[in-house]
Amino acid sequence: MIDEIFLSQLKQSVDLFLPETILVATFIIALIFDLIYKNSRYLIAVISIIGLVFSGIFLVNQSTSSAAIFSGMLSFDPFGNFFKILILLTTIIIVLMSVFSKELYEGGRKTGEYYILIVGMTFGMFLLAVANNLIIVYLAIETMSISSYILAGYTKEIKRASEASLKYVIFGAVSSGMMIYGISLIYGLTGSLTFDAINSAMISSDISGLTLLIAGLMIIAGIGYKISAVPFHFWTPDVYEGAPITITAYLSVASKAAGFAVLIRFLKVSFFDSTNYANDEIWTLIGTIDWQIVIAILSVLTMTLGNLVALWQTNMKRLLAYSSIAHAGYILMGVVVMTDIGVTSVLIYFFVYMIMNLGAFLVVMIIANKTGNEDIQKYNGIGHKAPFVSACMVIFLISLTGLPPTAGFIGKWAVFTAVLKSEYIWLAVVGVLNSVVSLYYYVKIFRNMYIRNFEDDSEIYEFSPGTYILLIILAVPTLIFGIYFTPLLDWAESSVKIFLGV
Amino acid sequence: MLTDFGIILLFMITGAVFVGIGIFASALIRPSKPTPLKLTTYECGEEAIGSPWIKFNIRFYVVALVFLLFEVEIVFLFPWAVVFKELGWYSFLSMVIFVVILLAGLAYVWAKGDLDWDKPKPYVPKLEDLVITKKD
Amino acid sequence: MLIDVPQEYYLILSAMMFVIGSVGVLTRRNAIIIFMSIEIMLNSVNLTFVSFAAFMGDTAGQIFVFFVMAVAAAEAAVGLAIVLALFRNKKTIYVDEVSLMKW
Repeated sequence: MIDEIFLSQLKQSVDLFLPETILVATFIIALIFDLIYKNSRYLIAVISIIGLVFSGIFLVNQSTSSAAIFSGMLSFDPFGNFFKILILLTTIIIVLMSVFSKELYEGGRKTGEYYILIVGMTFGMFLLAVANNLIIVYLAIETMSISSYILAGYTKEIKRASEASLKYVIFGAVSSGMMIYGISLIYGLTGSLTFDAINSAMISSDISGLTLLIAGLMIIAGIGYKISAVPFHFWTPDVYEGAPITITAYLSVASKAAGFAVLIRFLKVSFFDSTNYANDEIWTLIGTIDWQIVIAILSVLTMTLGNLVALWQTNMKRLLAYSSIAHAGYILMGVVVMTDIGVTSVLIYFFVYMIMNLGAFLVVMIIANKTGNEDIQKYNGIGHKAPFVSACMVIFLISLTGLPPTAGFIGKWAVFTAVLKSEYIWLAVVGVLNSVVSLYYYVKIFRNMYIRNFEDDSEIYEFSPGTYILLIILAVPTLIFGIYFTPLLDWAESSVKIFLGV
Repeated sequence: MLTDFGIILLFMITGAVFVGIGIFASALIRPSKPTPLKLTTYECGEEAIGSPWIKFNIRFYVVALVFLLFEVEIVFLFPWAVVFKELGWYSFLSMVIFVVILLAGLAYVWAKGDLDWDKPKPYVPKLEDLVITKKD
Repeated sequence: MLIDVPQEYYLILSAMMFVIGSVGVLTRRNAIIIFMSIEIMLNSVNLTFVSFAAFMGDTAGQIFVFFVMAVAAAEAAVGLAIVLALFRNKKTIYVDEVSLMKW
């Protein structure tokens, strides 16, 4: 039964799977340490960081390898690796942020399980970034979701948190149910669950029509829920408002990244003609269903609704939630293009979005540690009470709007160029109009911080040095990548290669 | 010719006819003089008060949840056990890893004390317990 | 035995179950019943997978069903735990009474 070829393939698979294995090992070790040292405050955080860094070292080492492992279940390629590194960086920053979170440690709450679940969630997202089989997609989405359901309600004494958690779990379960119904239809149509086998089945027998459309839409709904694309976004504002700030930041970056990774890989590998892949510039759709239009409609709805509803939000977490919905819309514009240029722009935008969004959430967390909540009224006069933090916030806000000389501009520039190069001029116009609308609510925060009247200017907020270091770590790249973005561009361009199966 | 399901259908019809004949015949023959007392619930016991939807102790849920989580592993163990001989050490190793990870989870639950069945505090019934709020 | 019944019947039954589950999720207010409706949706998916797998003579669908069952159990466990946490907080399991946050 077991022959030499199988053994060598197994060895290769296990070697490439090392970063994920390390995460699982970290998960279990942290679990055991949490039992032994029950009252340590930061021990589990330290263990998690060590595990994550180790995993990252191996991840960087294998950044150029490209292979299908575990009999084609996963396909390791530079594309997946990019997203995995992005997710890993986010996780490390979030763990560091959580250490300074007052909300999380309030009332001597045990936080061991919190860090353990974050590691588990990272494992799920790693799998999602490289999944090449619909079984793995489902399992990875559930690994990630189930951890995030618990994390969203981690501060369970707070009513808002447990409410957020309940809404998240109901919407999540329904959407994953819809997704697997779509998967079952695809399985019935093509007789396979592997992306490349679905592709070859579609090429050989010319499957199209209503069933495929419904099945595809259901799968996109399941993934769209993860990236909170309109109309699958209903959970986003409530969960983002109710969850602890660190988890809000994490959901808005990492789980979106994993969702986009699987969306692009699924569309690219399953629905595009793999026989003429030699020509990188042209991707040809199989069948009669125009998935580009579907994604374009999603994109327009997502960014328009996100930006318009954000206009009258008064809670910072909720405002940033709608802003993150809008950003998902911009990123979907890059997906619409569906060429290598489009994917490159998605990668660039995502990296930039990670830095600036985490930065904005970090500032919200720092301010909430002092004022106790995230109401936008509390930001009156913060510019004078905490000058450095506010200056960083201004950088992040400019970047989120997409103005030079910040990284956000580079991201927007990459996406809009990609859209203009394809024939979607109207999409680019909608995108630019949306950016203008978004300026209004970002300026509103700025106005509250600096211009609005405030009562006492004597009080100066003091923050711990650790938070300053974190702020600098996030603010400096936001500026640097706005001016010197060649390394980012090179990395993204070398990472668009999606492994297309054996 | 009848299929297997057809036989079952025939069986069900026959059963229904027999029961129907019995009920109909007894209704035809027996005297019928109802009084209010006769129409009450049968002599033993009392009239039911309150909703049958009582609240179970929360510890039942915890134990049930833990049980649920660990019993579904059977779903993976059975198919594996059937083909175990043909697959050899490789599948054995995979399953050992799987079970060890599950055992770590079980140890965690155990050490956390979620499996402890401590004695319940006696509950003194209050008047509010009798008030029924009907929902859904 | 399984093949004696035409495949459309399985698919129609599972589609009906899926719709029943969806309607249950949308109309019911009790969180526990919503979770039960979600289970019906997942089971309809299982039925589709098993029927496709049986008619195509392929095992991938059946393997998927195992994973769906395991994941459904985990999801139900987490969902019930969250409902318990909510109940301790707000003394209700009716989702329309859970409305601290609105648009």
